[in-house]
Amino acid sequence: MATLFERVFKGSDEMYALAEQAIAEAEKNYGDDEPVAFPNTAYFMGCLYAMTGTKITTFGQLKESMNWIRSQMTREKRTHDIFTSGIATACSAEVIEACKYLGGKTPYAEPYLGAMADGEVRELGVPLVTGDIPGFVVIIGTAPTDEQGVELIKSYQTKSIFVFLVGGIVEQARRMGLNMGFKVRIFPLGDQLSSVAHVVSVALRVALIFGNVQPGDYDGMRAYTFQRVMAFVNAFEPVDDMTVACGAGAISLGFPVITNDDNDMWRVPKSLIVQPNISEFVETSLEARNIKIKITQIDIPVAFSTAFEGEIIRRGNMQLEADGSRVDCFELVQTVDAKDIEDHDIKLIGPDLDTFEVGKKINLGVLVKVAGKKMKSDFEPVIERKFHTYLNCMEGIMHTGQRDMIRIRVSKDAFDMGFRAKHFGEVLYAKIKSDFEAVVDKCSIEVYTEPADVTRLRHEIAEAAYNMRDDRLNSLTDENVENFYTCTMCQSFSPSHVCIVTPERLGLCGAVSWLDAQATYELDNSGPCQVVPKVGVIDERIGKWDSVNEAVCKYSQGALETVSLYSIIEDPMTSCGCFECICGIEPMTGGVVIVNREHAGMTPTGMPFSELASMTGGGVQTPGFMGHGKHFISSKKFMAAEGGVQRIVWMPKMLKEQVGERLNKTAKELYGIDNFVDMIADETIVEDDPEKLFEFITEKGHPVLGLDPMV
Amino acid sequence: MKKFTTVEEMEYDSKRLKETACAVCIDTWETRAENQKNHCKFGEGGICCRICSMGPCRITPKAPKGICGADAAAIAGRNYLRSIVGGAAAHSDHGREIAYVLATASRDGAYQIKDEQKCISMAKEFDIETDGRDIYDIAHELGNKALLEYGKPFGTLTFLNRATKERQETWARNKIAPRSIDRECTEAMHMTHMGNTADATALIRQGLRTSLADGWGGSMMGTDFSDVLFGTPKPVNTEANLGVLDKDKVNIIVHGHDPALSEMIVLAAQMPEYTKRAQELGAKGINIVGLCCTSNEVAMRHGIPMAGNFLQQENAVLTGAVELIVADVQCIFPALGPLSKCFHTHFVTTSPKAVIPDSEFILFEPQNALENAKKIVSMAVENFVNRNNDLVFIPERKEKATVGYSCEAIIEELDGVTNSHVDLTGTYKPLIECLKSGVLRGAVGIVGCNNPRVRPDYSHISAMKELIKNDILVVVTGCSAQAAAKAGLLDKEARELCGDGLKRVCELVDIPPVLHMGSCVDISRIVLLASKVAEQWGIRIDQLPVIGCAPEWMSEKAVAIANYVVSTGLDTYLGIEPQVNGSDQMMQLITEGTRDMVGAGFVINTDIEKLTRAMIDGIEAKRAALGI
Repeated sequence: MATLFERVFKGSDEMYALAEQAIAEAEKNYGDDEPVAFPNTAYFMGCLYAMTGTKITTFGQLKESMNWIRSQMTREKRTHDIFTSGIATACSAEVIEACKYLGGKTPYAEPYLGAMADGEVRELGVPLVTGDIPGFVVIIGTAPTDEQGVELIKSYQTKSIFVFLVGGIVEQARRMGLNMGFKVRIFPLGDQLSSVAHVVSVALRVALIFGNVQPGDYDGMRAYTFQRVMAFVNAFEPVDDMTVACGAGAISLGFPVITNDDNDMWRVPKSLIVQPNISEFVETSLEARNIKIKITQIDIPVAFSTAFEGEIIRRGNMQLEADGSRVDCFELVQTVDAKDIEDHDIKLIGPDLDTFEVGKKINLGVLVKVAGKKMKSDFEPVIERKFHTYLNCMEGIMHTGQRDMIRIRVSKDAFDMGFRAKHFGEVLYAKIKSDFEAVVDKCSIEVYTEPADVTRLRHEIAEAAYNMRDDRLNSLTDENVENFYTCTMCQSFSPSHVCIVTPERLGLCGAVSWLDAQATYELDNSGPCQVVPKVGVIDERIGKWDSVNEAVCKYSQGALETVSLYSIIEDPMTSCGCFECICGIEPMTGGVVIVNREHAGMTPTGMPFSELASMTGGGVQTPGFMGHGKHFISSKKFMAAEGGVQRIVWMPKMLKEQVGERLNKTAKELYGIDNFVDMIADETIVEDDPEKLFEFITEKGHPVLGLDPMV
Repeated sequence: MKKFTTVEEMEYDSKRLKETACAVCIDTWETRAENQKNHCKFGEGGICCRICSMGPCRITPKAPKGICGADAAAIAGRNYLRSIVGGAAAHSDHGREIAYVLATASRDGAYQIKDEQKCISMAKEFDIETDGRDIYDIAHELGNKALLEYGKPFGTLTFLNRATKERQETWARNKIAPRSIDRECTEAMHMTHMGNTADATALIRQGLRTSLADGWGGSMMGTDFSDVLFGTPKPVNTEANLGVLDKDKVNIIVHGHDPALSEMIVLAAQMPEYTKRAQELGAKGINIVGLCCTSNEVAMRHGIPMAGNFLQQENAVLTGAVELIVADVQCIFPALGPLSKCFHTHFVTTSPKAVIPDSEFILFEPQNALENAKKIVSMAVENFVNRNNDLVFIPERKEKATVGYSCEAIIEELDGVTNSHVDLTGTYKPLIECLKSGVLRGAVGIVGCNNPRVRPDYSHISAMKELIKNDILVVVTGCSAQAAAKAGLLDKEARELCGDGLKRVCELVDIPPVLHMGSCVDISRIVLLASKVAEQWGIRIDQLPVIGCAPEWMSEKAVAIANYVVSTGLDTYLGIEPQVNGSDQMMQLITEGTRDMVGAGFVINTDIEKLTRAMIDGIEAKRAALGI
């Protein structure tokens, strides 16, 4: 029987040989100057960049990297050598993959996705820290049967584990008609083993983006992934030597490998585990990586998991929908006296879903009544905003919008599985009670489907509540509250980053508003959101307070000493890496460019989102660059120290549409400018040419032209 | 990475303390060792016979035989066997004391049963009825039956049943299965009397048998009955090196080996009246620290800090901050008597087996244990005012340590890395998987004393560092454990010094790379660990990539230990040459001859770097033979 060492060394040699072949093949068509890159990333060859610090941009440099890879394939009989050979195997695989992308080719087509974009990696940030995605699995090989393979994937999906697929399993899933893609958290990498490099790159980019681990810090990368990236591998029989070698790389990074292959396989506790029974892969794997799944048992006929949050239900697959833009609909959380409700009292008032014809637009009103000694009316919108996630997490249910502008679609599959109106209530009840247990003692839910009821309640109760809340929100400014809050939720990934959340500046991930932070504090007063009393003003204009500095210093464990809340030049707020948008200075205009992470194209700074985003993150201050939430763009405090929103000269069109209305309102209030958004360029006007941008804003009479330079 | 204390730093502190010795005009082991050079070659070679009064006879090329005709092998062999007897007797007598304590333990007395489960499981080994009986009844019968192991007329030792079947057969086949403990010691003394055994092989064979009576008899009782009485050790955090002495507190040092004394001192010192009295006298409280194996015993059961090992005993007193040092048996320097007189320090001896000039003798017996312990603590407290602060210098250095890895604790830690979907708990399987796969290359038990013949502590520490760098797990006991503790190797952070394989294992299991398994009697834990690993792996114990090492051994106990470790089937690497090299036959017997009997032998090299290399090569050779 070959030893573990012999297998890893052999597999590593084999992958290296394949990389040499790929290079030899590519040499026939490309010169050393040929650019080499994976799409939408600022981290070059992610694995090689992370482990060596070398920025590979040309084919010649890629070839040179083979020398380093070779140097890592040492052959002492020590774990160190199988670890470095394992990482070298992943890097060889990355070279093979890079060759596929040479010449600007797009080597992967449906269902394969290949390299993951930085924006997507960043999007995973929030769910990873909140535990909404408790971990990643990389499934390699071909399952004994298509059914077993898909069952395994679905089982992970229901536990919200992000699934990467490599090899035959992808084709098996496709044959079984499984819906795959980033949104549903199933990411088919490629049909060959070398595509595994793309997921190794994801793990290492998490360390670069969120952990501020420096590129080339080999042991720092390994320590970060071991401690913080909850990934693991499932490999189907037969596991060949190359897969064993990749497994050694995974184990080096802290990711256990679970396989059903008992042939020539060496067991290593918590690292290399033989589980002959595929149906026990999930539980075995979760235990091996110490992943605890928070289980909320909900009595519904469809699956419930954050994996279904991004699921799209198209009209053709729709049983019916509640569409607030066409008929009256609403959702509302209302605080009531405890004696007035029964806990877990879920009522359907009106006809059930099976009484409507297929494709019908129905009226839907969801009234959630909560009671609790510590409940405050400020928490109502916080709870209500969570409906979107809660309802979306049901398989076959799609929810968009909020308040009385909601759209809820129920798929035919969900309906066929028995989904009915009361199940909205079951999900909301279960989630509210578990997520808000500190403030909600009792919760009852009324689901209305009778048009007359919904219309009446919308106008009589819901609208009044919304108006009251709007008044409250409008009155919430940084000036008239006494406390700000910290948010250190991201510290499990980004250990030295601290957000300071104020009424006019929500967390940069876009997920934590001041009200959310307040509620989080009330729910757990030793949790990630702590009160920062607004005292000891240093400079109100740029947003500096002694208390804020103290809090930042304390909660960053001394990594940061001072922060200005309203400046992007002087001690700007740091980023964890999961920001919705990045804004950066555009020198020619003296303004700033803002780009959201969904936008893959170029910007007038000469850098796309991925590259701009890589300028900051990991809890580091980078003057001139700042990560932030979308809603912050229309805040009066948005870079107020540098003149405010009038500095914005360019945004993607999609972002302009999302924030335009409120941004116009702010500009009108602050500067008396009408339709300010029209003065801001987008990619349809100028993509990457700063001179053209300057022409455009000059033509529009953009106010930035009248401002002093920022630096 | 944290900075670990180096041997150079330890030596620097010692040198500074020698200035105090100079100031009070007292010598220390360094000067005495210098004075003893060059050692008698006949003594070193084991070829001086003083057994009858016709001699002494010494073997030279011109006089190759003694007056009676005994040759070098006979003389060296007899001397060697007598040193094994000395060690086996000492350890076993320690075990006997603990067995007596067990036989007289009572619910309302000073000594109680702390680990009832272990008491019951041991009682079953002795065929004692346990169902429905009071635990103290069981304990008393167990103690009595255990005491019979010292002198029972028939059969072999009960604990031999704990060994693998293969080992029991090997011992029986070679006629080295020990009968009663005292009988093996007596028989060995008889064999070596003038006019008896002159055949070196027969002397070696009796050496193995006598040593087994220690390792699988007296020592094992010392270990297991201590667990029953004082609790089976579990991982506990403590600190090590002289920096644990506290200049603001009354410092009491417990020194020696037998936990029966130290446990009582710890108990007494925790009584509030003494702390109160200490405070009245201007101290901030009472600080108990340990020296030598007593330190290991109280550290692993109470987290009592470890002041140091064998060659540190004088240094501890030289700090000038020790109010009282109380000792029981073994490894107590007579030098402590005159040394303590240079300071205010009370030097209290307690055992009729270790009566030392210039000490205050207080007889310590189970029936007066707590009373006397209180008296001793009180003496220490009242002495605080007599401290001469001009003489006080405490080196600040100390290291964190996690100690107390009994076999039971190791299994519990290993359970933490099992997977409930594929593994059972309560076994060494995770360790075996690491060894089989090669993530860990092997394991070494490093044990034994300090010895001025080599650079003290350096041999222990450098060997350990090199082994853990090569993914070899190290388990330690005795003075070796203390050396490891002082160097920070018992700190979990020492995983940073390991090869990637051992480092990962330490991270996953959450252990330091060097596991503290106790005092020198607790080498019985190591042989049990190896036996169970072999059994659960399904191979012979001598096939395991597991070895023993005593890089700085000096005492007769160490000779006995080395022999029982070899008898158990584990090669043992020695950094000090046994005193038999005047006979080629004896040298051949201890390094090679025993391999034919028990499948293991000594590997000797006084160059620690070479010895360490030999250990790594030895482990790799065992792996190669297994095809792993």
